[in-house]
Amino acid sequence: MDEDPDRFAARVVEVRDRLAPQLPDIDPQDLLLIVQSLLRPFGSGRRFLLREIRPGVYVA
Amino acid sequence: MSPDEAFVVTILHALASTQLEAIIVGNAAAAILGVPVTTQDIDLLVRDTPSNREKIDKFCAALGAARPVAISELTTAQTILGAAWPVDLLFDRLIGGLEFASVRSRSRAIVIGDVTATVASLEDIIRSKEVANRPKDQAVLPLLRDALRVIQTLDKK
Repeated sequence: MDEDPDRFAARVVEVRDRLAPQLPDIDPQDLLLIVQSLLRPFGSGRRFLLREIRPGVYVA
Repeated sequence: MSPDEAFVVTILHALASTQLEAIIVGNAAAAILGVPVTTQDIDLLVRDTPSNREKIDKFCAALGAARPVAISELTTAQTILGAAWPVDLLFDRLIGGLEFASVRSRSRAIVIGDVTATVASLEDIIRSKEVANRPKDQAVLPLLRDALRVIQTLDKK
């Protein structure tokens, strides 16, 4: 990720804090996860493809 | 760029070089849209035409993969094996009666470097998974719906 990690974290928290009162029924941890993911543009190093290393065991 | 993102770029280059029009659908599409989901493969929606069948063979070659094989007797979908990750081909429509043209009309064009990904809308991804309603769809739907609400709330600003 190109952006400074501390700056990115502050941006995530700011957006989360703004959204939380409007979306009170979304689990706070899920909201943080969603906001963090949405704010990371494609190409910034996200992992989303799983490999099955042995039956029933997957790694990203 | 992660290996996962690089693989998507490889697919996009292969689609561009073979002029195969495809829409990325399923969880891979959701991930490209920024939703924190994972998947074991990349799903592509294409039109089933003789011309596209030829392009698909070239697309597989561009990926260094084998020609597609049927997933099962219960579906027309095929899977391409031999690339870094499996790539599934869905023909003409998504589960839920979502036709290629309508999915494309609501899709998003996402520029990634020097290529553009055509990605199904999150609404269509959700609709298809609601109708498919397999256990793996049921597992991911709450997160997809929450992410859609977050996006819609952000868009209101």
